[in-house]
Amino acid sequence: MKKLAIIVLALLAVFMLAIGLGSVYIPPLEIVRAVWYRFFGAGEDISGAYIIMWELRLPRALLAFIVGAALSVSGAVMQSVLRNPLASSFTLGVSSGASLGAALVIFAGMSALFSLPTAGFLFGMGAIVLAIALASKMDGRLENNTIILVGMVLSLFVNAITTMLMAMRREYMERLVFWQMGSFSMRGWEAVAILAPVAIIGIIFILFYHRELDIMTFGENEAQLIGVNMRRVKWVLLVASAALTGSAIAFVGIIGFVDLVAPHVVRRAFGARHRLLIPMSAAVGGGFMMLCDLVARTVLPVGELPVGVVSALVGAPFFAYVYFAKRG
Amino acid sequence: MLILKDVYAGYGAGDVINGVSFTINPGENLSIIGPNGCGKSTLLKVMAGLLPYRGEIMLGGQPLHRASRRVISAKIAMLSQMPPLYFSYSVYDTVMMGRYVHNKSRWLGRPSDGDRKIVDDALKAVNLLHEKDKDITKLSGGQQQRVFLARTLAQQPEIILLDEPTNHLDLKHQIELIHYLKAWAKDGNRAIVGVLHDINQALNLSSNVLVMQNGKAAAHGENIVTETLLEKVYEVDVAAYMRQSLEIWRK
Repeated sequence: MKKLAIIVLALLAVFMLAIGLGSVYIPPLEIVRAVWYRFFGAGEDISGAYIIMWELRLPRALLAFIVGAALSVSGAVMQSVLRNPLASSFTLGVSSGASLGAALVIFAGMSALFSLPTAGFLFGMGAIVLAIALASKMDGRLENNTIILVGMVLSLFVNAITTMLMAMRREYMERLVFWQMGSFSMRGWEAVAILAPVAIIGIIFILFYHRELDIMTFGENEAQLIGVNMRRVKWVLLVASAALTGSAIAFVGIIGFVDLVAPHVVRRAFGARHRLLIPMSAAVGGGFMMLCDLVARTVLPVGELPVGVVSALVGAPFFAYVYFAKRG
Repeated sequence: MLILKDVYAGYGAGDVINGVSFTINPGENLSIIGPNGCGKSTLLKVMAGLLPYRGEIMLGGQPLHRASRRVISAKIAMLSQMPPLYFSYSVYDTVMMGRYVHNKSRWLGRPSDGDRKIVDDALKAVNLLHEKDKDITKLSGGQQQRVFLARTLAQQPEIILLDEPTNHLDLKHQIELIHYLKAWAKDGNRAIVGVLHDINQALNLSSNVLVMQNGKAAAHGENIVTETLLEKVYEVDVAAYMRQSLEIWRK
């Protein structure tokens, strides 16, 4: 209960900072007043701080939270299903597929609304479905090692196609590279409105499998012996977690490490049971992502860093500390 | 209870089990012995529904390959060599996983009183109730194996398959495990099929023995283990080995 209270308070603090800090400082009281005004006030308040908060920072902070939550839950599921503490959707080619989709849209000069996220999502999901289908064809029992190996090979293959396209169309290279580095810049309420229900439904759906996820961490044979239909459950959970990752990175580009950091922090604090691991990973991952975005947009005097760079710079040493400190 | 008729199975490259037939009746235990690579563990995996097979296996009157995973696991549990543990669960939570097959609820609520009593009883049986809140990754190999035994008991199967379950146990706990399982089977008219490398332990589990060689049943029945049979199957001078062991004890 104490740990839960700490996480809730930390989340609130990060949220206030994410809304308040930036080129224009909005004090906490002003934030509370603006929220009050929005929901209970009358008339129009068009002060600058109010607009910055509602039109820029709030959707951005919420999007960062949702993306962090979706990626973290996806990471927690991948690690348990594949029984590998270092596994994530990216291991199975989601990011490679999404990058290829983004590259095709950018190179084709498509400008329709949401064409980039749609292509990122479809190609990301396509890559993982293809990886599992190939693994399933090669190994009827769909063993973890086969899935990981096929995912890695497919990832390298798809990356090679993307690199080839980049070499052929160098004029678009910068745009693609920036998309790959991830950013929450210029994403508004539309992205929140699309991603929030997808993430909430995805996380609740995965939560329904909390017992199977617990059992699967003991190994494939053990899980089957206890009564889990491994083949079906593995397919369902891998696709569900890939959908979470795919929809998250489709809007903001590729952001790594949150899917490794958050589940491991939560396992240390709350244990490995998925009924707590899933919601807590969402909370911790969401908070971590809001913090990374805050650093990304405030650390430079002019402009901002790609959030994927910040999450890796902060996440890599932090993950190493959390993971190896446990091993003593 | 479980009937095998002319069963063949393997891992793709060829059959490891070559036409094995036997029947397990309620209250009847079976020890399977044989040299490394003769197919003992593969046979257990086939019986547990983990490997495809040819031939006929009937579980409670139903072909095994047609039974769902839940139906198989409600009737057959298996205690094998311990899997490596990557994630931390409490002893209690690990044993509670054995109740999965009997409880379809997907909600996040607490386990029922009935499930908790079954788990407590299983922990008492392996003398680990006092350690129920401990992290299993912090336990010794022997304690971990007893946790997995408790989980197997919590599954409340009709048949328990044992695949070298005594590997991490000291002598006291090895003896206790075999005694406990024999009593468990006898009390509930259930059955145990055990693969044990130690022939003394195997004979202690059951006088009904299946001796395997090259994927086939070299011999099967009550009190069939003889010096000659062991010499033929293991290709060692059993009498000389026994004499040597006795010499060591005398000294």
